[in-house]
Amino acid sequence: MEYQRPLNALIIRSASFQQLDQNLPELLAAFPDHRFDMLTHEHGMKLALKYQDLNRIISYSHSGSFSIRRREPGLRGIRYDVVIIPVANLTGAGFLNVLFFSLTIKTNRRFLCNMVSDIKRVTVPAILLKGLGSVINKFVSGLLTLATYPILRLALPRMLSRLDDPSRKGNS
Amino acid sequence: MPLVSIVMLCWNRLEDVRESLTRIRLIEYPELEVIVVDNGSTDGTPEMIEREFPEVRLLRMTENIGIAAYNRGFERARGEYLVIIDDDSFPAPKAIGRMVRKFERDPDLGVVAFDVRNFYHYDEVAQVEEPESSAKDSSATAAHYYMSFNGAGVGIRTNLFRRVGFYPEEFFLYNNEMDSAFRIWDAGYRIEFHSDVVAYHKYSPVNRTSWRAPYYYVRNAFWLVWKNYPAPMALRLTRSLLFKCVHASLEQRTWIYLKAMRDAFRQANLIQGKRKPVREEIALNLRVPYDVFFTFYR
Repeated sequence: MEYQRPLNALIIRSASFQQLDQNLPELLAAFPDHRFDMLTHEHGMKLALKYQDLNRIISYSHSGSFSIRRREPGLRGIRYDVVIIPVANLTGAGFLNVLFFSLTIKTNRRFLCNMVSDIKRVTVPAILLKGLGSVINKFVSGLLTLATYPILRLALPRMLSRLDDPSRKGNS
Repeated sequence: MPLVSIVMLCWNRLEDVRESLTRIRLIEYPELEVIVVDNGSTDGTPEMIEREFPEVRLLRMTENIGIAAYNRGFERARGEYLVIIDDDSFPAPKAIGRMVRKFERDPDLGVVAFDVRNFYHYDEVAQVEEPESSAKDSSATAAHYYMSFNGAGVGIRTNLFRRVGFYPEEFFLYNNEMDSAFRIWDAGYRIEFHSDVVAYHKYSPVNRTSWRAPYYYVRNAFWLVWKNYPAPMALRLTRSLLFKCVHASLEQRTWIYLKAMRDAFRQANLIQGKRKPVREEIALNLRVPYDVFFTFYR
């Protein structure tokens, strides 16, 4: 008899536990026969343990946001049938970093799950296309930031000094 | 047994307030005072409280003054510990007793952050509520960074909170917890989430789609930086926020982040005299999720 690996899914915890309380039953229904793992920042480990439907909880080894530059060594060598990216809004706007991070995980299918539990597949070309648009926007933003930086550099220290608590003048 | 003051802020949410106050009556801790600060509701909320919950101390504001109204409640609290909740949240029956025991065991623990769960899944979550653990076992902390707390369910030592000035009134809405977190850590106290201290909150996706959250989170993010970080870090973070504002505006096709940034500078006089840079160790280690502030628009 041929051994069949059980289907597995990974939830990247990129939204609050309050939202996940709502999303999880919908995800379990949408992906029956899957065993669910969750990747969460260290402070979320204990709180994620309350979900009895989770097979395994993995601690993200970094304190910063999920990023393609901050891979999770604990996921090396694991292939998931499905990776789920919860987003704390309707469209997924602002979650491109998590989408890109998901590219570091071996899987064939990625899904966004939004704040009202709409589950939508997102493909690698779609992520890359969003990334391309974002690169252009980043370039423009970078130029504008660079152009205003000299003013900021001159003006901000003066402003901070004006904002100082009088009892701490000279300490900052 | 020390007195605990629950402080709730409400604004035009009559049914939610009624439900929360009804649930508060089920709390298994005898020494409780409940203070509700009404932020100028016009839907009959204060009248309902007076009629149906005579045990509640009601403070009525004449208009909506934002989180400053919380401070009016904190100022009047007589308890040794404060529990802060929203008008649509409430602590689980055993939460406050457990919180008090954690505070009494550990004098350096300044804040017990509740595990705030989704009220609409109350039955599922209530079944898996943990039995009480020792302080060490239930704390949901990280070894290499510090955390803030969620204002929908949190316990704070009253004297400590008074010493750090309660909530920053100028913030009006959002990120006030983060600002308080800087000052609490800087005062030498710890903030810890505890998985066995639970509060329930009506997680409301609909309310999150308004302009208020992206505007106030981002405007106040600038103020967090200017109030709390040493100058070199403040400059770096301001530059990073400026970049994020432009980028998020282009990505999400909205002016809201640029407007928030403009107002942070224009209204900077509101934080005049309030800049108290924290110790470098706190500035480096308190986790501020700046990216998240740009995810509330749509």
